[in-house]
Amino acid sequence: MHQDHPVKLVVTDDLRRSRPRVFFTLLLAIPHFVWLFLWTVLMVVVVILNWVVALATGRPAAALHRLTCSYIRYATHVNAYVDLVANPYPGFSGEEGKYPIDVRLPELTPQSRWKTFFRLFLAVPALVMASALGGGGITYTTSSSGRSRFAGASARGALAITCAVLGWFASMAQGHMPKGLRDASAYSLGYTAQVMAYLLLVTDRYPDADPTAMLDGVGRPPVHTVRLVGDADDLRFSRLTVFFRLLLTIPHFVWLVLWGIAVFVAAILNWFVTLFRGTPARSLHAFISRYVRYQLHVYAFLYLAANPFPGFDGAPGRYPLDLQLPEPARQNRWKTGFRIVLAVPALAVNGALGYGLAAAAFLTWFVALARGSAPWGLRNFSAYALRYQAQANAYLLLLTDAYPHASPLEGAESPQHEFAEAA
Amino acid sequence: MIRRASLLAAAAAVWGVAAWFLWRTTVPSSLHLPHVDEHGFFTAAQLHAAASFSRVEDILFWGTTLLQIAALAAFARWGARWARESAAGPVGTGMLLGMLGFALVWVVQLPLEVVDLWWQRRHDLSKVGYTSFLFGDWFSLAGQFVFLCLALAIVMGLARRFRSTWWIWAAPPFIGLTLLFAFVSPYLVTTHPLHSARLRAIASRLEVQEGVGHVPIEVQDIHDVTSLPNSEATGLGPSRRVIIFDTMLDGRFTTGELKVVIGHELGHLARHHIWKDVGWYALFAFPGLFLIAQVTKLRGGLREPAAVPLALLALVVLDLFALPLQNAISRHMEAEADWRALVTTRDPKDAIALFRRFVPTTLDEPNPSTWDYVMLENHPTIVQRIAMAEAYATSAAQSP
Ligand SMILES: [Zn+2]
Repeated sequence: MHQDHPVKLVVTDDLRRSRPRVFFTLLLAIPHFVWLFLWTVLMVVVVILNWVVALATGRPAAALHRLTCSYIRYATHVNAYVDLVANPYPGFSGEEGKYPIDVRLPELTPQSRWKTFFRLFLAVPALVMASALGGGGITYTTSSSGRSRFAGASARGALAITCAVLGWFASMAQGHMPKGLRDASAYSLGYTAQVMAYLLLVTDRYPDADPTAMLDGVGRPPVHTVRLVGDADDLRFSRLTVFFRLLLTIPHFVWLVLWGIAVFVAAILNWFVTLFRGTPARSLHAFISRYVRYQLHVYAFLYLAANPFPGFDGAPGRYPLDLQLPEPARQNRWKTGFRIVLAVPALAVNGALGYGLAAAAFLTWFVALARGSAPWGLRNFSAYALRYQAQANAYLLLLTDAYPHASPLEGAESPQHEFAEAA
Repeated sequence: MIRRASLLAAAAAVWGVAAWFLWRTTVPSSLHLPHVDEHGFFTAAQLHAAASFSRVEDILFWGTTLLQIAALAAFARWGARWARESAAGPVGTGMLLGMLGFALVWVVQLPLEVVDLWWQRRHDLSKVGYTSFLFGDWFSLAGQFVFLCLALAIVMGLARRFRSTWWIWAAPPFIGLTLLFAFVSPYLVTTHPLHSARLRAIASRLEVQEGVGHVPIEVQDIHDVTSLPNSEATGLGPSRRVIIFDTMLDGRFTTGELKVVIGHELGHLARHHIWKDVGWYALFAFPGLFLIAQVTKLRGGLREPAAVPLALLALVVLDLFALPLQNAISRHMEAEADWRALVTTRDPKDAIALFRRFVPTTLDEPNPSTWDYVMLENHPTIVQRIAMAEAYATSAAQSP
């Protein structure tokens, strides 16, 4: 059902970062920016040529295909370097297998002429997603009088930028990149590479936003205390409720605000309790847990990650996309005392994921209306963003002192350690 | 059985007495309205313009009404199937079904609403663009959803608690909400004080004559939306005010005519018409909710979400049947406000001038057909209003 995508992200990065290289990232990247820009200009000509060839012969030209593959790899390497997804300084030729964040691209195959002819238009939804997620290179294109024109060689997505900025501070402090941020950025880069491959006629397979498929082979993070549960194969949507989705959510917005006021007060009380006792008050914890779960239900409904209309009580076990929250447990007093400050990076990542969530919902809306079911990849991306949001809320509202994990991968019981340094 | 019958008789008696009190008016019962021929006051062109405008408006009214009922009938028949798209409890599922019903009605009516806008724009009555109309309409649907969900939460919550007698318990909260809304509604519109010192002085004099105490006269800027002249008396107690559309102050109406307008609105306040509105609402709420409770028994009662589509249909049909009655009550109060304006301004000439001016500015028919009168007119017809002014003039001339 879910075939492997021909454009494959290969991650062999070990999370170690050299502090001097991190500190001077942008300065050191200047030669690459110049080279990437020149290459991008060349690619405009190349892709037009290739487009004509592909329309005429049913497949792109072999030499141009190889050049394009190198370009996509090179752009990915440079972005991985700038976004701190990998440590070493990249080469200038986009060679395969030489960089810890690499892209495996498909051999030349025949492509549907229809898909080739309308490629630029077909790519628009994927470009919308890519601009929310990240990567550089050719992400924004505009069409003028039938010819494609590439504008802005380094339009960068919200998620990758946010992770890069946060990762910069973390890497400077620790000498390694936090795995969550690295995974999130790597995922963005992989998606962007798929979009480039589609747009630049390397493949006619549409980009797939599914995070698990994208990061296949990357070690999964440890299990988080805040978990999303649900039936992954449940993609059916009711067209009528999809069409009116935003309006139908309105009573929930009202209820979210009203309940949110009470939760705000409860969270302040809970903060004092947790600070003095070390554990949250059971009743406040239960009250806030219900709210965080309710919020997940509402946003899953609004952002088309789940189909049915949610209840108003945040009860567990009723909604197909549900949230498991921890029981009240001992929390670190330092982490409690400075919770708001500590939560700022998580809120930044959450904000960036919010763009992706909105873009995914916008696109899913059309697909679900047409097909009566959600696209697998986008739905899984939304589940990732919603999971992170719930983890951030649970952290901020003192349900747990476990920091939200930005990795698009779900936690595993026995996490595979890529970076063995004692934390 | 006998106990039930006597209870019903007692309730009917209370209802009748309350209605009698609410119906009382200061318009003298001896007042005889002379026959007024509209051709004596309006040119043939004016009458023709009003008639041709109203004809299409009537068709649109009946079209949207019938479409609404048809859509809700279909929804009452098949709508309950969408309950499976809900993971909420019974009340939440009821809300979903209610919203879907309203949404369907909205979609079905939208084409005719756009035609109506086109018709109003063609006659320079509406200034709303099509895009902003669609957005505005969408937002008003959003607002309806909030109220609908609140109403369903009340009704279904009580139906689950009290079973078959829920309608008795449901009426007070709705009456309370109506009262609350009547109180806060003046605060929901942005207005500014009346600039004209002359009109303000006139208003103060009329306030004293009516003995209503100080009532702020506010102006609502609405000329971007419509060119229709209008004014209203709103609020209860401290929120009472008279709101005049700025479309009345654009030079089309003379000071004398505006004096009558203010007199009319102060008349509403002096005679406590907003309170009476709430009172009438209360009188209709009990039997209305009772009927809805009976109808929805067909689907297991309103404690079941499956009954919500039927409840919407029942509500709309009841509303349609109550419309002639509501219009009659409204006309009765409007006539009293007109009478108060005549008594306080003692100026039937300006009153007649004002009523005449309404025909070219609103394209209202001065003497509409009976159907139109029964279903759509919540004010006395312009011919009736002129007749009252003439009757006042006659009676004032007779009594020195
Ligand atoms: Zn009036």
